[in-house]
Amino acid sequence: MTNNMTLGQRFLANEWSALAVAIAIGLVTLAVLSPAFLTEFNIYVMLRSFCVVLIVAFAQMLTLAVGQMNLSVGALGGLVAIAVGGMMEKWGFPVPVAVLCGLVIGAAGGLINGLLTVRTGINGFIITLATASAFTGINLGITESIPFYNLPASFVAFGTERFYALPYLLLPPVLIAIALAFFLARTVPGRQLLAVGGNPHAAELSGIPRDRVIVMAHTLSGLLAGAAAILAVAQLGSAQPSIGVDWLLMSFAAPIIGGAALTGGHISVAATALAVVLIVIIQNGMVLAKVDPYWVQFLLGALILAAVGLNRLRAVRAGGA
Amino acid sequence: MKWSLTHGFTMTLSVSSETRARPSWLAEQANLIGLAAIIILFWVLFTSLAPGFVSSFNLFALSRSLAVDIVIGFSTMVVLATGGMNLAIGSIGVCAVMASGFLMQTIGLPIPVALALALLLGAFLGWLNGFVIVRSGVNSFIITLASASLFLGGMLILSKAQTFNALPPEIAAFGRMRWWGFVSPLLFVAIGLGVALIILFRFTALGREILAAGANARAAELSGVPVGRAIIIAHTLSGALAASAGLMLVFRLGAAMPSIGQDWLLPSFLAPVLGGTLLAGGYVSVVGTMLGALLVTTIRSGLLVMQIGNFWLQLFLGLILLFAVMLDRYRSVYAERRSLGRKNAGRRA
Amino acid sequence: MRLTIEGIGKDFPGVTALDSVSFEILPGETHALMGENGAGKSTLIKIITGLYRPDRGRLLVDGQPVDFTSPRDAIAAGISAVHQERNLIPRFTVGENIMIERPPTRNGVIDFDKVHAEARKFLDMIDPSIDTRTEVRHLSVAQMQIVEIAKALSLEAQVLLLDEPTASITGHEADALFAVVRRLRDEGKAIVFVSHKLEEVMAISDRVTVLRDGRIAAAGEPIANMSRGKIVSAMIGREERVAEMGTRAVDRSKTVLEARSLATSFGHKDVSFELHKGEILGLYGLVGAGRTEVARALIGDGKVTAGELRLNGQSVTIPDVPTAIRRHKLGYISEDRKAEGLILTHPIRSNIAISVWRRIASKLGLITRAAERKVADPLVAKLEVKTPSIEQAVGKLSGGNQQKVSIAKWLAAGVEILIIDEPTVGIDIKTKTAIHELIGEITRGGVSVLLISSDMPEMITLADRILVMNDFTLVGTIENSRRYETMSREIMGFIHADAEAGHAATHG
Repeated sequence: MTNNMTLGQRFLANEWSALAVAIAIGLVTLAVLSPAFLTEFNIYVMLRSFCVVLIVAFAQMLTLAVGQMNLSVGALGGLVAIAVGGMMEKWGFPVPVAVLCGLVIGAAGGLINGLLTVRTGINGFIITLATASAFTGINLGITESIPFYNLPASFVAFGTERFYALPYLLLPPVLIAIALAFFLARTVPGRQLLAVGGNPHAAELSGIPRDRVIVMAHTLSGLLAGAAAILAVAQLGSAQPSIGVDWLLMSFAAPIIGGAALTGGHISVAATALAVVLIVIIQNGMVLAKVDPYWVQFLLGALILAAVGLNRLRAVRAGGA
Repeated sequence: MKWSLTHGFTMTLSVSSETRARPSWLAEQANLIGLAAIIILFWVLFTSLAPGFVSSFNLFALSRSLAVDIVIGFSTMVVLATGGMNLAIGSIGVCAVMASGFLMQTIGLPIPVALALALLLGAFLGWLNGFVIVRSGVNSFIITLASASLFLGGMLILSKAQTFNALPPEIAAFGRMRWWGFVSPLLFVAIGLGVALIILFRFTALGREILAAGANARAAELSGVPVGRAIIIAHTLSGALAASAGLMLVFRLGAAMPSIGQDWLLPSFLAPVLGGTLLAGGYVSVVGTMLGALLVTTIRSGLLVMQIGNFWLQLFLGLILLFAVMLDRYRSVYAERRSLGRKNAGRRA
Repeated sequence: MRLTIEGIGKDFPGVTALDSVSFEILPGETHALMGENGAGKSTLIKIITGLYRPDRGRLLVDGQPVDFTSPRDAIAAGISAVHQERNLIPRFTVGENIMIERPPTRNGVIDFDKVHAEARKFLDMIDPSIDTRTEVRHLSVAQMQIVEIAKALSLEAQVLLLDEPTASITGHEADALFAVVRRLRDEGKAIVFVSHKLEEVMAISDRVTVLRDGRIAAAGEPIANMSRGKIVSAMIGREERVAEMGTRAVDRSKTVLEARSLATSFGHKDVSFELHKGEILGLYGLVGAGRTEVARALIGDGKVTAGELRLNGQSVTIPDVPTAIRRHKLGYISEDRKAEGLILTHPIRSNIAISVWRRIASKLGLITRAAERKVADPLVAKLEVKTPSIEQAVGKLSGGNQQKVSIAKWLAAGVEILIIDEPTVGIDIKTKTAIHELIGEITRGGVSVLLISSDMPEMITLADRILVMNDFTLVGTIENSRRYETMSREIMGFIHADAEAGHAATHG
């Protein structure tokens, strides 16, 4: 039945077709309405704001993949941000060492989330709500809300320099996206992760260690939250304790707009990335149109509802056919 | 198709449906007594470490924030009763806050009218949540996550994030009012709401239907309970309670600020969960939620008085929540093992 | 491989599900496992596949005792099962699902070409027409079953357990499946075939084992020695006499419910029957015949798409369950007490009063415990629900007492028509009689009952008339003579006649 569809039909049947259309419309509209939109600098600005959001979205996507959620992405990000900043400013760690330590802290935080969820059998929502508070508490307790400003020049430069319209900052997210897509598509643990999300019972009967896979998903989620935080520090040029406080909505918005189901097993790296592109375009459009930045908040909510409604409709239609 | 919504709820929230039975009356009392004991312990500790803790000024401040924490907890509790959740509580709260500010300061409506309209707005936004959840069959988590953003964004666009700080002086005066020198009347409002909720969930058909829908939506529906309606009403109530909590803050601050509500998520879950309300739905403890809120407020106030500051507070609250859910978990596992053990022993004998 | 089941026993709170069950499964045979609902088949399957551990007895593989602690152990020992619920990952391809246990990798990366090539090998053994690169969610149920069998083969299964494989596939698909089963048997595999459908069992099995009430009723009898009648009586139990219900005088002059050529969203066609006041009308059919769905359509939990439903002579449409209960006094007791019948975590008191909360509320809208108890207490006493207290959580009661609470709920609601679906599933024999007496008694109080059951003795004990359903249509109506032998033969006759190419029913 898939074979005798026209190219157009096949495109429309694809889950991220609506996203691609929305992005195209957004691009054309903005290009026509605003001469500033397609300038090299504006493209650089957009790409730069794309970086952190993308990795944050991936962090949430991995927990959604196994039917879990991680409310602590932002809190863990904040903790990693100040830890990396502190290590560089107060202890004078070289950049690579500090970055590595930051990633380890992120992964460790995720590991704690995963172990607590699996061992206690308590819902991930409440566990990560609690650990989010704990991570934030440690962050604020250490910094007393005072940022680390004196970061190595090379590190700060990485966050601002660019090659024409391409920010250096874009490199890690692109590599992570490719690695993640490869991991989920071609490696045994990646496939196991999707299998557990797709049908936990079947996965277990097929000898996939369900608990270990869930812990792995949480750990990777923490690792990515840490990576996002490090990029955010580089982007801002300082380690703000407030990094991450506004990640929660974004982290769910992108995967869900990209078609992910809360029940697990259905995520897509490409669709999530497209959703982030759409969000960034909307944000940029708001800035160029000089409207209230609050519209972004409003539209994001509307966008999630629209995406959910669309998926629902598609599911109902598929179920009825 | 019809049942997918309930499946959605269970999938996100149920801790493990069968094992988490409603606590027996005795276990329920034991839970409350345990919570009370911990609270007393903290009071003794804080009083001995920082005598300022029981000063009439601090008690007054504590009673005011306790009132707000209790009502925030109630707002989440009534939705947990259905086995769903409401992440939009903070947003609904701030919408009601800004609406009341606008109506009093800009329009100049009399205070009671403005407050009533603000409450109505909260209830309406809650109803909207419930309606969309039931009609779409989509999980309450996603819907309220999205609506939280939608409501907050809408409020900010309309208000331009301007604080209303020229409210009628009666507002601040009521917020400053002390009874017997150390307690805010707001606390009695919160307690009054608690009594009303006890009556609702114990003694009214509606409250019982909400609980039945949360415990087993399918069985409730087959017994003639209009499950969809029960869920919508629970969300409407949640919205009205969120608005009440917001208005209490307006009294306390003497101003309507757009920043209200943004830090409600954790306390809104803390109070009911500490108090023994089941995430899976079907059981609430109103008194437990009040005690849970008291524990949170006590710790916050104590740390403040001891000048440990707000910074470590979050860590404490997070750890307490973790501790509470784990304790609860192990207690139920233990109870189950014991009862199984008894059964087996009985058979062997 | 020879699988020996030796003296297996398994207990659950309140019931002994299996008791000293012994038989043997031999290589190169198709071994049918039969039994009515609640006979212990599914428990036995779970023990063989490592999901449960037996409380007594043991399993032996080729004479060596084995102890399965998980499905993994059973699979490792060469025992694979194709369960009724699909155990495939919907968004993975056929090939990957088959190879999911141990996907071939190269340098740590899954080699999908090899995945598909390997999967192809196993799929070709049974059905070459399925493309290994299709996502499983696009397949039909029958194709998914084939994929699961291929998966079992890839795990080098020597014993293959098929649990109700034809429950949701068409006759044509079933024939293809049976061809596969025969081929595998001829290759020396042991096939355990679990089914309710006598025709299938007669057609493809070599030997048959029948369970009844957790015990062996026939152990590995060669099918040549068995007739349909013999299997049925083994399943139902010859010695189980039909309990005396006393004389039942039903006044047939008053029709309370009449279905005229109903068709439903579930796929029923042309369902017509009448239910009289105070009557117990049986609706018999094998599992999957569409009985429960009739009930769901009647109470507004499914759509009536054509035909007419008349209650007390009035034509009605029932949009939802609350309307059925409140306006039409029509109640339904589900066969799944735990998921659909009762709120296990709530006390007996509120489980009974739930249907009348609105009615017993005071003028201020308040319900007191006292008001609930006024409704519930007399019913608990009358129905002899055994419980220390009316505040006991229903989940802690035995199955029989739970069922009494279900019935009490509807008596409290004052229903005039009660649909009871499998009233005694999972209930021990002694309590069964009490439930039967209870059902008889409520009809004497004027309630009309539509009784759905696949328990033949129960049907013949209780029903005044019996409707026979097969494949979502009614294939016969029989006046109950309460003579077990003739009744069971007549009922099975209708079903066989219908099953055999839809010829007109003749009395066998």
